[in-house]
This record gives sequence, structure tokens and C-alpha cells, in this order.
Amino acid sequence: MSILEVNNLKKKFDNTEILKGISFDMEKGETLSILGSSGSGKTTLLRCLNFLETPDEGTITVNGNCLFDAKNGPLRDGDLRQKRLHFGMVFQQFNLFPQYTALENVILAPKLQSNGSNMDEIVKNGKSLLEKMGLADRMNNYPHQLSGGQQQRVAIARALALRPDILCFDEPTSALDPELTGEVLKVIRELATQHTTMIIVTHEIGFAKDVSDKIIFMDDGVIAEQGTPAQVISNPTNERTRQFLANYIG
Amino acid sequence: MFTTVTMSLFEGFLGTLKLFSLTLLFSLPLGLIISFGSMSKTSIVRWPIRFIIWVVRGTPLMLQLLIIFYGPGIFFGTNLWGSGDRGRFTAALVAFVFNYACYFSEIFRGGIQSIPTGQYEAAAVLGLTKTQTFFRIVLVQVVKRIVPPISNEVITLVKDTSLARVIAFYEIIWEGERFIKSAGIIWPLFYTGVYYLIFSGLLTLLFGYIEKKLDYFK
Repeated sequence: MSILEVNNLKKKFDNTEILKGISFDMEKGETLSILGSSGSGKTTLLRCLNFLETPDEGTITVNGNCLFDAKNGPLRDGDLRQKRLHFGMVFQQFNLFPQYTALENVILAPKLQSNGSNMDEIVKNGKSLLEKMGLADRMNNYPHQLSGGQQQRVAIARALALRPDILCFDEPTSALDPELTGEVLKVIRELATQHTTMIIVTHEIGFAKDVSDKIIFMDDGVIAEQGTPAQVISNPTNERTRQFLANYIG
Repeated sequence: MFTTVTMSLFEGFLGTLKLFSLTLLFSLPLGLIISFGSMSKTSIVRWPIRFIIWVVRGTPLMLQLLIIFYGPGIFFGTNLWGSGDRGRFTAALVAFVFNYACYFSEIFRGGIQSIPTGQYEAAAVLGLTKTQTFFRIVLVQVVKRIVPPISNEVITLVKDTSLARVIAFYEIIWEGERFIKSAGIIWPLFYTGVYYLIFSGLLTLLFGYIEKKLDYFK
């Protein structure tokens, strides 16, 4: 059974159709990268999965449970909170909470969910996540004391702390200068080798080719091409994919 | 003479202080509530509130004091505020609380709306409730941003309390002026400025301290 099945997802903003019927699925432990030019709908797709946008049509199914069906109308608040926990989200702009230290950022949500019980375990888990991210000596720093790459790694730890089924990345390195991009990609690569189920929206084509089990190329609100990196990146059949990749040498 | 004046001005200053502190106590929370109203998604809530804010900020506080104090008697024939100093104080307090709550509400609104949507989205994907998001994530960041404009308003309030003498509320200027009639001297009136200065100086230090306390994050 697929861990995620997306069926015929559509989303309109005002009168512009951004997603025109997206369907795909992925297996547990897979890394899926979504490529495509700006405005192709990649980010909107990711935001729909995290219910930051409500799709107009279509269904989202995780582990065989239908989380969302546009026919049933928008989700209610409490419902929404439970359902979006299947997904973790790492934002382009990190969005760490500035008033909390790295560790506090990571443990805040688990702490609120457990109503303060199990604190020892939550803190232990938070620390070990930050250690995995190579931030053992940065736990008590506030976000403004960290570099962009470090902040993004804290954000990844924060998302992992809730043990999501699927971890989503929205252009995780686009706000970073090239020097800092590497350290974030390295962490994501490690997660991939540990079979964390991930969806990565990215412009780093070389990275996507290396790390992904599957690639989706999006163009103008539809999936123009999907398949293994060898198929999509090395031997694209779609004209738009070829044009897009023509600018990439690697 | 100097000691006598100092002592009696101090008594007048207690009136100022009382109006000042009670105004703050009520207008800050009321302002927060009004700010939520002015940001409401329901236009039936939002527009009346914005209208009230417009009227209150668009007319002189002195005029509001007069209308609130004399209005009920003139228009409805009821003596809403009761008689004597107590009535004057209550009317003055109501006018001040209302006026300052409207100003504060706009500061709160600006502060709340200046928080990047990314903060709300991050909180949402982490499964925080709206209440948790407001109290755990947004509030401290808002407070940090609004300390400077709030401190401005608070210091203005110290001096605005003198407007309440238009409805014969007893405070320090009133006391200072009394010496013109009773002793034929004007310097006690000028001397009241020292009280205002010292008090606003203390407030400036207090707000500087709060700003520094919130300096641990950016």
C-alpha cells in the first residue's frame, strides 16, 4: 500500500488555476523530488498536502486513510490539526520562532501535545535530533545567533520531532547562500539514506537526481513527467522537461 | 512656603497618579479586545469598531470628557455619574479609558499584523491551536514590537490627565492653580512641571528596562 496517494488535486486562486488535476503516489521510505519552473504549482501542491491551502477538488490519502476529500468540504479546525500532523513541513524561510532557543523550537510542539507529561523523553529526543543535525553545541542559541544553514537544520529537527509520516521541504536551500546550501543538503541526504519518507520541492537538480527515488516534473499546474531520476532527468521525453533541463548542465 | 507648596502639589499629584494608573489598567486590555474587533473577518463587527476608533481618535479628548460628563444629563436627563468628586472621577476615567483603548488598539493591530505569516504557518503545521499560537508564538513578538509606541502613549497619558480639570477633576494642575487665587503666586503652577518630568523620567527608565529585557531575541 502506498503511504501517500494524491488524486486529481485542483486548486484555484481567484480565477487562476494553479493546480489542474495532480495525481501521484509514493511508497514508504521513498524520496520524491518535485521540479519545475517558478509558477508551475510545486509549492502550492506542497501547501495543499499540509493543508495550508484547501484544495478545490481531489483527495489526499495517507496509509490508506482518506485525509481529505474536497467533496466533504473544508476540514474543521480540530480535525485539521490532527490530519496535518501526518505531514511535516520545512519552509524556504525557516520560520523558526525567534523567542525560543533551538532546543525550545524543537520541543515546543511535542510539549504542548503531551500537556507537559513525558518531558524527559521529549527533551532527550529533541537533543538527539539536534545532535543528528550537527547542532549539539548550538542547542541553547536563539535563531538570530545561528547562520541560515543552522536555522534550516533546526527547522528540520523541529519538523522531525513530531514524527510525521511524510516530511515536506519547500525549496529548503533557496534562501541560503551557496556556502550554506551544502550543509543542509547533506542533512537531507542522510535522512534519505535512513529511508525517511520525503517530498522535496527544489531547484537543485543535481541533488534531486542523486537523492531521489522518484522525480516529478511539473509544468503549468500539471505533472508533465514523472519517473525515476534516470528517466526524467537523464532521458526526458516531455518537450517542456527538456527545455527546463537544457539550462542545467550536470 | 516651598515645603507647603511641595506637599500640597504632591497631594494633587496623587489624583493625577490615580487617573493615570487606572486608565492604563483598563485601557490596555480593552485596547486588545478592540484590536481583535478591528481585525475581525466579519464586517458587521469590523466596521462599527473602526468607526468608533475613527470618532475617538478624530475628536479632542477634552471634548470627549465634556460630552461623557455632561451628555447623560443633557440628553437623557439622568445623572449617570452621581454627584461630587466621585462622579467626576468616574466620568473622567471612562473618557480616558475609552480614548486610550482606541489608540492602544491601533498599536496592537499594527503589532499583530506585522508578524510574518510564516510564523502562523509554522505554528499551524506543528499542530498548535489558535490560542496556543497567539499566546506561545505571537504575543511576545508583538510585545517586543509595540513597546516603543506604547511607551510614547503612556508618557502622553501622564500629561493628558491634566485635561480632566475641564470637568473639575482634582489633580496637580488644579492644585497648582489654586495658589494663584489663594496666595497670589504663580510659581507653584510652573513647579508642577517638575512632577511631570520626574514621573515621565521614571517611566522612560522603566520602558528602557523592558526593551532591554526583550532584547534576547530578534
